[in-house]
Amino acid sequence: MFPRMIAAGWVLLAAPALAQIGNPGNLAPDTAMQDAATPAPHQRNAHDTLSYQLLAAGGMAEVALAQLALDRAGSDELRGFAEMMVRDHSDANERLAALAEAANVPLPEGPDPEHQAMQERLAGLEGGDFDLAYIRGQITDHQKTVQLLSAEVTGGQDAELQRLAAELLPVVQGHLDRARDIHARLAGISPAVTPAPVARPDPAATPDPAATPDPAATPDPGASPDPAAASPAPPAAPAAPETP
Amino acid sequence: MPVHRALAPICAALLAGAQPLPAAADPLPPDTTYRPLPVMPPSRAHAIDEAQKPAVMARQRELLDSRYDLADRPLPGAMMSGGTKPVQEGVRVRLPEGQDWDSLAAMTPAEIRDGDLLPQGFLPLPHVKQATGGQVFPQNQIDRIAAQEQRDLRRFDVDFDLPDHLTPEFPPPIFLTTQPHLGDVSRGELLTIRNYYEIMNGLVTPVQMEGLRLLLTPFPQEEFNQTEDRKVADPSLGVACLDCHSNFHSNAAFHQTPDVRPQASRFRLDTTSLRGMFNQQIHGSKRSLRSIEDFTEFEQRTAYFNGDHVSATRKGVHLPDRANQVAMMAQMQNIIDFPPAPKLDPFGRLDPTLATEQELAGEAVFLGKGRCAECHNPQTAFMDNQMHDLKLERFYKPGQVHNDMATLPDGPIKTFTLRGIKDSPPYLHDGRLMTLADTVEFFNLVLGTGLSGDEKEALTAYLLTL
Repeated sequence: MFPRMIAAGWVLLAAPALAQIGNPGNLAPDTAMQDAATPAPHQRNAHDTLSYQLLAAGGMAEVALAQLALDRAGSDELRGFAEMMVRDHSDANERLAALAEAANVPLPEGPDPEHQAMQERLAGLEGGDFDLAYIRGQITDHQKTVQLLSAEVTGGQDAELQRLAAELLPVVQGHLDRARDIHARLAGISPAVTPAPVARPDPAATPDPAATPDPAATPDPGASPDPAAASPAPPAAPAAPETP
Repeated sequence: MPVHRALAPICAALLAGAQPLPAAADPLPPDTTYRPLPVMPPSRAHAIDEAQKPAVMARQRELLDSRYDLADRPLPGAMMSGGTKPVQEGVRVRLPEGQDWDSLAAMTPAEIRDGDLLPQGFLPLPHVKQATGGQVFPQNQIDRIAAQEQRDLRRFDVDFDLPDHLTPEFPPPIFLTTQPHLGDVSRGELLTIRNYYEIMNGLVTPVQMEGLRLLLTPFPQEEFNQTEDRKVADPSLGVACLDCHSNFHSNAAFHQTPDVRPQASRFRLDTTSLRGMFNQQIHGSKRSLRSIEDFTEFEQRTAYFNGDHVSATRKGVHLPDRANQVAMMAQMQNIIDFPPAPKLDPFGRLDPTLATEQELAGEAVFLGKGRCAECHNPQTAFMDNQMHDLKLERFYKPGQVHNDMATLPDGPIKTFTLRGIKDSPPYLHDGRLMTLADTVEFFNLVLGTGLSGDEKEALTAYLLTL
């Protein structure tokens, strides 16, 4: 862990143009500066301190809840999700802990009351009830984490924590997309929240404005009991457009 | 009595319902929604800001250069409506290595997303300093206001980030719906609080004149005010509406959306033109305010204060009187016309006796295969008074951070008019596209319209006639 952090610090020094640049008005008043423009490593403001606490507590809870899910989940998809949670959040937790140690920030040792309550509630559920409650909790948790990471990127001053937040943000957003997707299926809302890849018209073929739409491409509502199949196609798959 | 007895269980139920429920969880930190108060002493924050500025500008320049070709390449024979600045030619968004526009257009959105192949210039454009944000004025506006009003619009933390040739002509011409026979009435001047009366007396009504005065009067703003939380050297009188909407058009001053939090997620806003306000039914890229009066009134807390009325109150917000001041400001804005488009007929269609073959071919693409007119309807001033979601995130993985901005889906954005569009680079709500040719490639990819090279060129030629 330590060599990796040193390497990261070196990259920062070598490429100052890529550095995080915050609003100096929000730097802690006792910030030690590396140069006239840049806070020294591991200098933090109140926002950083809070991010460390909230991200650590949330990260720990993610792993604990996912382990419970691996024990209880009825759906294979959910187990796959839980495995991803254990893997990704254990890795992120380790990196956060290493940064916190280097910055001398004490981290919480157990889950916060919110996650504790969630854990207790989930412990009393089984089967489909557990699956739905777990994935709903995951959606809320990941929504909050996306906002927290985003806020750290501009609100903090500890460049290494900000870089970690920036790196984790697309990962956590990916978790959220996946959780919403799974929830949509478990709850029977639709087969996919994230739109599946859509076939595009062959640009080499010159569309014939007079051509009638291919009847095979039009779903027959009578033939499909799946309401989603009859929903309008996303704009990426235009039929030959008519002049309005 | 029986009534009382009947009520008793209801009251009991209400009382039980009134038991305070424990909060489900801690809320997210306050600065995810509200503006934090600065804690660093202002003199020191100022010094650090000044010291950071070269790195801020270098970082942004690096991002811009990696995304765009910013060279000065005027399009021969195409000038903006005032005749003082050429329109820029060509596609400026850089392609990912090994791709061309046709190969990209042949892929599915998922293939482009999974291969990280979306041209980076199509992504949301970060503010020059995302963490601080706020209004940033181009140098020409700063210089003109300093000379005429001795008011300082220079920020000590950031400069304007786009080259001058990729912004609207300055000062832009002014066309009035009430004086169509006069043409441009700006006299080549920038309207300011010092000169507006001399320029506009005899052209507007008393009510319009008072509205104009208010639109030119500086009021406190988030970065330009008298508190320690400002980004201008001396305590400032503030900014005026027309500091961004120069001569009721745009000088490409930029800001961040007031409608999104947290700060890293706020997208950049390129100043929109006020031309043709009389036909616009919804206002704000996100808020869909239903009248220009609503917008004008509330803009004192949005463009001026990021949609944070708490901060606005602390710094001295101007709350214009609805019945008098707001109405007059609105009436002045509602007489600002589009620039002349001599090739368009009364329905916004090209007059075939005046247009070239290429322009007519471009119109056919616009109305048909290109699907432009499905939102930019010629009959309603090339807009539809709706908001639409282009779902660009089909083409990239959301959440990546560029220059401290979290690149996230834009969601529905209002349709902007295309009348006079050659006068208002850069394009899209955040100014992420530098030329009209860029917009053609953008929409060809996003809408999957599969236009040929000739069709794209014709469409660009057509856009110049609007």
